[in-house]
Amino acid sequence: MKYAKVYGEDVKVGDAIPPLVKGPIAQIQLTRYAGASGDFNPIHQDAEFARAAGMGGVFAHGMLSMGFVAQSVTDWLGAGTVRKLGVRFSALVRLKDVITCTGRVLGTSEKNGERLVELELWAENQRGEKVVTGRATAALQSRSA
Amino acid sequence: MPIRIDRALVGKEYPAFVVTAERGKIKAFARAIGDLNQNYVDDDIGGASAWGDIIAPPTFAITFRDETADAAALLRDLGVDIGRVLHGEQEFEIHRQIRPGETFTCRTKVVDIQDKTGKSGPMALVTRETVIVDRGGEVVGTLRHVTVVRL
Repeated sequence: MKYAKVYGEDVKVGDAIPPLVKGPIAQIQLTRYAGASGDFNPIHQDAEFARAAGMGGVFAHGMLSMGFVAQSVTDWLGAGTVRKLGVRFSALVRLKDVITCTGRVLGTSEKNGERLVELELWAENQRGEKVVTGRATAALQSRSA
Repeated sequence: MPIRIDRALVGKEYPAFVVTAERGKIKAFARAIGDLNQNYVDDDIGGASAWGDIIAPPTFAITFRDETADAAALLRDLGVDIGRVLHGEQEFEIHRQIRPGETFTCRTKVVDIQDKTGKSGPMALVTRETVIVDRGGEVVGTLRHVTVVRL
């Protein structure tokens, strides 16, 4: 079902975002994300630096987790559907963490011939602790369009 | 000595900078997230899509930075070391999709500074907004970036 075309009519309030499981987080992924994003803060790479900063060790870029959350939406609703995405980073993601991204549909509306879908989103670690919470708006085509 | 964030920073605008969304960077960014959506990484699929090319993942605009500027400018303005800042919140408004080869002008300003007491003690929340405009003057996206400064 991955990347199946989803139309506005296919989504209703209360629908769950199919869970997307990412990780376990490895140092090499943080290094790769640093290179791809341009965020070379040593707190994500250098354990000694991270401990000296009082963070108890390396942790993932918040933006990597946000990328996972965005993927959970686009895996379901399709690439190019996200119109707004806002998150709060509520807990640190550590090496070896397994992150599950999901959410649900809060509301739908019509605007300019598109169906706008309001989503509540979250990501949690393997202990069930929320690491990201947020909201998104996605725009879907109508089946009749 | 407790750190004080200068409230006069609110309203400060950083010099506008120009970026080009490079094809390889879009793909590398998607792959770094582990998101292999064909609309991000496959030129043939992208070319056959309604957009006529691959598109950037929703969070790609976070890579837009002023490569000619001093990367530590914000930290210096805040008067803190990089080890004291965390990414607290992030928002993207996406008005249209970003495609390879497009050039944009980005303007960033500090829009808010709030004090808060968190689990680890006093902190300041510094909100910056970046507006991304294409060559035709159309706003393609807006980013809001909340930095947590541990005081």
